[in-house]
Amino acid sequence: MRRIALHLGLLFACAVILAPLLWVIRTSLLPEHLSYSPELMPAATLDNYVALFTTTRYGQSYLNSLIVAFGSVVVALPFAAMTGYAFARFKTSGRAGRFAVLATQMLPPVAIVLPAFALLRTVGLTNSLTGLIIVYAAVNLPFLIWILMGFFEGIPVDLEWAAQTDGATAWGAFWRIVLPVSLPGIAAAGVLGFILTWNEFLFALVLSGPQTATVPVALASLQTSNGVQIAKVSAGVVLAVLPLVIASRFIQRFIVQGLTFGSVK
Amino acid sequence: MSSIELDHVSKLYANGAYGVRDVDLSIGEGEFVIFLGPSGCGKSTTLRMIAGLEGITSGDLRIGGRSVNNVAPRDRNIAVVFQSYALYPHMSVRDNMGFGLKMRGVARSVIEEKIRDAAGLLGLTPYLDRKPAALSGGQRQRVALGRAIVRDPVAFLLDEPLSNLDAQLRAEMRLELVKLHRRLGRTIVHVTHDQVEAMTMGDRICIMREGRMIQVGKPLEVYADPVDTFVARFLATPPMNLLPARLTGQGDGLVVSGDGFTVEVPDMHRAAYAGLAGREVIFGLRPEDLHEAPQPGFSRIEVTVVAMESLGVENILVGQIGTGGTAGKPLELSARLSRHFTAPVGARVPLYLDPRPMHLFDPETTRAFPRPSLRLVTN
Repeated sequence: MRRIALHLGLLFACAVILAPLLWVIRTSLLPEHLSYSPELMPAATLDNYVALFTTTRYGQSYLNSLIVAFGSVVVALPFAAMTGYAFARFKTSGRAGRFAVLATQMLPPVAIVLPAFALLRTVGLTNSLTGLIIVYAAVNLPFLIWILMGFFEGIPVDLEWAAQTDGATAWGAFWRIVLPVSLPGIAAAGVLGFILTWNEFLFALVLSGPQTATVPVALASLQTSNGVQIAKVSAGVVLAVLPLVIASRFIQRFIVQGLTFGSVK
Repeated sequence: MSSIELDHVSKLYANGAYGVRDVDLSIGEGEFVIFLGPSGCGKSTTLRMIAGLEGITSGDLRIGGRSVNNVAPRDRNIAVVFQSYALYPHMSVRDNMGFGLKMRGVARSVIEEKIRDAAGLLGLTPYLDRKPAALSGGQRQRVALGRAIVRDPVAFLLDEPLSNLDAQLRAEMRLELVKLHRRLGRTIVHVTHDQVEAMTMGDRICIMREGRMIQVGKPLEVYADPVDTFVARFLATPPMNLLPARLTGQGDGLVVSGDGFTVEVPDMHRAAYAGLAGREVIFGLRPEDLHEAPQPGFSRIEVTVVAMESLGVENILVGQIGTGGTAGKPLELSARLSRHFTAPVGARVPLYLDPRPMHLFDPETTRAFPRPSLRLVTN
């Protein structure tokens, strides 16, 4: 009896959380003139999705978002791994250094976006995916460093000592032992970085142009002076959520997986 | 070739605390040496300095006659077995064991052969393709040893390698390590806080405390002649009984007396202790030197039983003697008695004390007053 009550409660909670998403999915599948219909599912069509790709630049933006999100992670991760390792293992610049890294995260993004724009303009990288990748890599770097620092601190130093007495250099111990062992952590950090970039709006809005707009910017542009194209927005949102759903599955797997199980004790 | 010399080696931390202080020790080629001490005494730090994993603040460290103060761990050709085993979790047993050779650029076929030999020696052949996570504690321990053996290092440094094993496995591995040492003939430095390991495994024990090496010697020598009360208490369970007392001259003889006991100093020690008459001392006697039956020369004491521990092979009696005097707390001592001896808690029983192995310590410095070694006398 208690179990049933518990499950009913959980079902209700799930419904509350999922309701907006389900409503968006519903709206994306309705013909545009029925978007605001009070009925649950008066009709079903894929027209909105087709229109999204044929009448707007959503496809291009989607590709841009994928490139920028992947690119920024690929650029940032090696730096984050090395810096995080240095902070975790050596007394590099102490606590002050660790927190200084976080300084940029303390500022409101608006405070950084204009200098970033000015910088990119000087080197001619506004309105370019390369510029976006560099900026996102830089903005996400502190966050990734902190996540990876935590992972590296969790790896027993005995492992590296063993590798060093076994004949590896400090770099060899990092490359051959620490990196493979912390792969789940690095993957999790990568996925988090991807999600951060994928969702980011302000930098994308200021630094991109029509050719290089990312998904959030493209979705925002569907709110025109003639009103919000709610059906297309819904379709766009559904597609935008898709990579996040996949990513969160990955994160779960990596984080749940034991990190160093069996190596010590 | 594989001797290890520590020449006044110290480790000073940035906060001004000493990790290791002025350790002076020469370990001969093929010797099995035990570093024994409580946690935080600097024994593991000393081991890591020998391995090169920890820097040396002052002094000189030589391996095979060559100063290695500034030589990287990988160039010292020394193998370390860690307390945690530190197996590489993402590698199979085979790759774990072969890693060191691979790093040194040894040919694949040679590596394969050495792994096969070591695995055979340690009974690991069926597990070569498993990951460490799929092994039991004892098997992981063997892999860690195997990883050290295949490299054929000049010395093995073992950092409490048995402390994570259960009692039975530990006893087995203790024997195996000793056999392995005989077989390989390599220098072994074994760090432990386990007195049984210390007594049974090594050629020499080095007892450390607060970063200093306070006594170095053969296990039985250290057991028979501890240099101070710390060593006296540390090396056995139950530890040596230490009772505050006073040494007085009586005619020709000397008498040690304290709250609830009076012991005549045996002839063999009289000359050594004669100069101490009239002094406060700490009287030290091991629990096995208290007996339930009288013999000529033994001193009788009355003990109130506080606890009886029956170990099967023997019974340990914990008792109180004396009245407590002004301090108000009676002295406690323990005695190893035969398994046939029992007494209820609270009973007063007579015990007979063999004074020949007695020790006297200085209450101020805790150092032992020198006396002829009993082992030399009885030989």
